[in-house]
Amino acid sequence: MKRFFAIIESPLTRAFLVGFIVLSFQTTLFNTLRPFSVVMQVMLLCSAASGVAAGSESGAIAGFMFGFMYDMVLTSPFGLSALVFGFAGYMAGGVNTFAYSPRWWFKMLSIGISSAAAVLIYPAASLVVGVDGLLQTRVIGVAFTVGLFNAAFALPAVFLMRWALVKSKKQMLWAE
Amino acid sequence: MYSFTRRRLIVVLLLTSVLLLTLDRSNSGLVGGVKDAFGVVFRPVERFANVVSRPLSNVWRGVLDYSDMRKENLALKDLLVKQEGAAIAATASVREAQELLALNGLPTLAGIDSVTAQVVGQSPSNFTQTFELNRGKSSGIRVGMTVTNGAGLVGKITGVTLERSVVMLATDPEYAMSVKVGACTRPKATTTAVPQTTTTLVSDGSTSPVTDVLPTTTTTSTTSTTSTTTTVLQRATTTTIKGFTPFATTLPPVPGGGGVTQITVPETGVLLPRETGAMEGQGIDRLPVIRFIQTSSRLGELCEGVPVVTAGGSQSLAPADLVVGTVSRVVTRTGTSGPLLEVELAANLQSLNFVRVLLYQPATEIPQ
Repeated sequence: MKRFFAIIESPLTRAFLVGFIVLSFQTTLFNTLRPFSVVMQVMLLCSAASGVAAGSESGAIAGFMFGFMYDMVLTSPFGLSALVFGFAGYMAGGVNTFAYSPRWWFKMLSIGISSAAAVLIYPAASLVVGVDGLLQTRVIGVAFTVGLFNAAFALPAVFLMRWALVKSKKQMLWAE
Repeated sequence: MYSFTRRRLIVVLLLTSVLLLTLDRSNSGLVGGVKDAFGVVFRPVERFANVVSRPLSNVWRGVLDYSDMRKENLALKDLLVKQEGAAIAATASVREAQELLALNGLPTLAGIDSVTAQVVGQSPSNFTQTFELNRGKSSGIRVGMTVTNGAGLVGKITGVTLERSVVMLATDPEYAMSVKVGACTRPKATTTAVPQTTTTLVSDGSTSPVTDVLPTTTTTSTTSTTSTTTTVLQRATTTTIKGFTPFATTLPPVPGGGGVTQITVPETGVLLPRETGAMEGQGIDRLPVIRFIQTSSRLGELCEGVPVVTAGGSQSLAPADLVVGTVSRVVTRTGTSGPLLEVELAANLQSLNFVRVLLYQPATEIPQ
């Protein structure tokens, strides 16, 4: 029984459950709210927030997991979102390398930039695996909007992902 | 600095991604199976999230779309009134065409079974253009089947589970379809067909043969007994629809009307030639284009507004003569690459609700 609770309380399980619930809202609510005809990417937001909350490695793993879950509901090449979201989590986690205790605006900036970068990388990566036609000028606008949105909601997302991935303030998962 | 653990983690994640992508691109059944299993677990959670978030979605739509919706509603009412009359005439024409095709033993769309399905979801991605339908394998839907709505081609099925299926829209960059496009007609100044008539009369020889015939419908003949009239028609110009040339209507023999039999032979060029090309989606906000069309003297001049229909064929996923749309722009290119045609799809892909899945598979796709 203790083992069961240990598994349930593990950061990976919590992150999976958070991802599962966020994915359900991604495919319903955020699919409807399309400011400037752009779908808000909350799965990407959570991936980047994981990096800021728990470091680059945790961000990469959590981002990979969220991307993998996102791939399950997409028809795009399987594994592509996992790769890109993992990159976003890793990149956003870089904020902890630059500052020991980054300020709130720095976290927002980090999440915004890494989200925008992930949106830009996605069509480029899809081109590599043989899906052409996605790399258009429209992508720049999409990246800007997604980056702005994710930066705006960065702090609640970081709070959520800290709850999911970090057991206590001092104890981080996969700490170096 | 990179630690060993960090480097190893990056390598493992990269390799896993490559493995997944390889499995996916090699059309492994494993990926489909995993997605299906995930869908079974995820669907109830998604449904719950949909119920919870619906009020918020409705508020969003109400705030942003209300005035547009009112305008659209008024415009649609106006359009509906105009279309009602046209629809009745079109239905009669379609029925007539189907009867003619059936009479000549040619395949028709009417002979293809279909399943009506409702659009229940949309892709949450900013890149792929897919819709989810509430019908799947249990309704006979298979991967590759063509999806249409009342207006025309919508896309094709790319994924099927027991009760759901995924439609890739015709505007998706991965979508391609063999289509036919015709040359445009050039209306002449006159509004009636000008026939060149040669009349051969088999008569008792008491009167001279009639060589001048009034347009199409009236054949003036002063002879009695049996006569055979061969009419060679020039291009009729009684319509302004580009790419559409109605044949002259040959009235059936009137019982007791002297036994006159008319044989209508269209002049070369009345039957407009059609060229086959490949239509490819170009992504969101871009119209699909047709490539591999060669300008030739046989095809004639390509112009905007001509209808585009599916080409069909033994290996095509769609049956022939399914309405796709009209040519909206002709881009001439230098060299041997031929012109590029932009297609305005007849179906409005932005507001899909109910669609029709044609239960049509070419012989090559049916498992033995």
